[in-house]
Amino acid sequence: MTLSAPAPTAPAPATGPGPAAPPAPAPGFTPLRRIRRVRTVPGRIRLLAALAVAAVLLLFATVALAIGHAKDGLNAIGHTAGPQVVATADLYFALSDMDAQVANLLLTGRSAGLGPGRQATLDRYDERRSQADRAVLQAADLASGDATEQVTVRALLDGLGRYEQLASRALVLDEQSRHEAGPPPQAVLDVYRQATDLMRLDLLPKAYNLTLDSGTIVRHAYLAELSAVQMGRVWVGLAGALALAILIVLQVFLSRGFRRTFNLPLLIATLVTGALTVAAVVVLQHEGGVLTDAKENGFNSVLALSRARAIGNTMHGDESRYLLDPQRADTYEQVYLDKSQAVLYVPGGNLDKYYAAVDAGLAAYPGKADFLGFYGSEAAHVTLPGQREAIGKVLKLYQAFQQNDQRIRRSAEGGMRRNAIGDAMGPAFGAYDDALVQLTALHREAFDSAVRDGDDALGGWNVVPPVAALAAILLILIGVRPRLAEYR
Amino acid sequence: MVTLTRKRRAGRGNGRPRRAAAVALVAAVAIPLASACAAGTSILDKDSLVIGVKPDQPGLGVKARDGKFSGFDIDVATYIARKLGKPATFVAAPSSEREKMLMGGSADLVVATYSITPERKTKVSFGGPYYVAHQDTLVRAGESGVTNVRDLRDRKLCQVTGSNSWRRVKEERKIPVTLVQSASYSECVRDLKASTVDAVSTDDLILAGFATSGTKIVNAPFSDERYGVGIRTGDVDGCEAVNKAITEMYQDGTAKKLLQKWFAKSGLALSFTVPQFEGCG
Repeated sequence: MTLSAPAPTAPAPATGPGPAAPPAPAPGFTPLRRIRRVRTVPGRIRLLAALAVAAVLLLFATVALAIGHAKDGLNAIGHTAGPQVVATADLYFALSDMDAQVANLLLTGRSAGLGPGRQATLDRYDERRSQADRAVLQAADLASGDATEQVTVRALLDGLGRYEQLASRALVLDEQSRHEAGPPPQAVLDVYRQATDLMRLDLLPKAYNLTLDSGTIVRHAYLAELSAVQMGRVWVGLAGALALAILIVLQVFLSRGFRRTFNLPLLIATLVTGALTVAAVVVLQHEGGVLTDAKENGFNSVLALSRARAIGNTMHGDESRYLLDPQRADTYEQVYLDKSQAVLYVPGGNLDKYYAAVDAGLAAYPGKADFLGFYGSEAAHVTLPGQREAIGKVLKLYQAFQQNDQRIRRSAEGGMRRNAIGDAMGPAFGAYDDALVQLTALHREAFDSAVRDGDDALGGWNVVPPVAALAAILLILIGVRPRLAEYR
Repeated sequence: MVTLTRKRRAGRGNGRPRRAAAVALVAAVAIPLASACAAGTSILDKDSLVIGVKPDQPGLGVKARDGKFSGFDIDVATYIARKLGKPATFVAAPSSEREKMLMGGSADLVVATYSITPERKTKVSFGGPYYVAHQDTLVRAGESGVTNVRDLRDRKLCQVTGSNSWRRVKEERKIPVTLVQSASYSECVRDLKASTVDAVSTDDLILAGFATSGTKIVNAPFSDERYGVGIRTGDVDGCEAVNKAITEMYQDGTAKKLLQKWFAKSGLALSFTVPQFEGCG
């Protein structure tokens, strides 16, 4: 990398981090011994001044490079790739919700008074479809550097087209059959099965993997820029120490040789150099912290919770599909349980045991977070103000959602299908989902404010390093000029 | 290495104190080196990979008399290792040892019908899954009364000691079946043909490995068993590379070819699309 370029120019002995480290003057003298012509006093002044200017330029270069890396890292995580990844996480959600809305439409048939109504459901389907289209475009943009991912994006686009065809065919057949709420005729089910299998077994996994892949891109960018910023900090410190050491040697040389107390311009140049070094090290330290904060507390949580939300949405769809297709009810019940355990894991081999374990596990919260899965890790890493309360709310509503699920299945098994459908279309899922969106927003805010903080701290760093370096160089020249004039 | 041999030679003629000093010096050099290796290594930094596989699972992983392994898992593992650019050697990974092998470092990867579960994820990480198997049911070829797991009501189901598959039928699905004890799935299949049991229920890929002419798979899956690639926790780079290899295995048609090679004969409905990954972070 470009940062290692200054290494040969920066002599190795300058490892003393303190500004006035005693061994540091050595590099100033080493070339001195080699060049015989500079044994005269003005020659030595010229050489030291030239070395000081070179060291200040080197400091400027390391500062500019390291600040550049901090900017790149912040830009990738905060402004380009990071938000794009979050958008691709919405792809899974949009796709899964499309299929859930189709299932709802088929399930309600021509019956009124169940859920939000036919037109509202159709509108929501259309909205999700355009959301999915937009998210695919974002994913395609992110995948532009990776052939494997591009293949996945193309397959996803093709599959989405096929899904829409199958879904609209199922909807048309369903409308023609004019059935009451409950499972539609077999002909409709046959088409819908093709559609939902395509969605659940082919498209959703690809969309999910795409989000994971995009997360990898951001992770790599983050790690590369973070280590560049950290290394940059070390180089800035070394270059600053070198510059200060040379300036001090020059000062000492002048005050001894000319019996003057202080060379004022040179003193100011030293102060400017020292201030630039310290300020740059501090701001780089800060930016490293901001990058870590934005990635670990913001981005990672937003991404994990988006995945949890998407999985939660397919669970809601599985409830409708369970009622829609009695022949496959066992399968849909099983995948519902599997997904529940991915979201919040408590041991429980079947749904009845799971409901009970959720009740028991959440009764102990917040005293004890005795569960795994997405909410397990979320509850184990509380870092934000208000996060604990928001998690508590999500968990309470998740529990209510599971209790509602239990009612749905009881009613369905007891033959009260209309009650079951009413509960499935009821507000339990929406309330839970809203709470989850609020929790995600909390992390999103933390992410945005970390990024803003990072941006603010870098404000002015386009100007500060060149101005400071230029000032220091001018002051060095002003400081040595009258001494050289004495020899003319 | 150079210092090590030199020190030893110097110590040879000069008695104990020198030798002790040499040992101390070697230890001083070696201990930080060893701990540095254990802390942050990725399988991507290794020259070759040791992969744990099943030695006794027909179709998935079987160890032959000559010590060679073969099966779907072995082919998948070989493909992944090739994509990572590393030669692979295989070792037997019994079910109870899999986490220990990964945590202790005696295996770099485990590809051994290793279902991803939240409990296991507290100890190891998972690349993949490379396939989602489903619990299904094997019956006699002439059987026409079983099209769904619910049709097993009041029939005799084989219960293999140490396997939990029967629970999914009797306890999770609450289907009243009569359990018949058996030592292994191969014995179950023998019993099935001899009509001492009516059905064998477990992961479809395992059933496919046992399926022969006298039996058929019902093709009514009722659970997801996500076969993952076990990897040491913390090796995110390695895990992501494994996922990429699996994605490519499906994209270039290798997954389809391998699934057909090992399981097509059984009549099992196979899935040729890439599964939903678990995620490495």
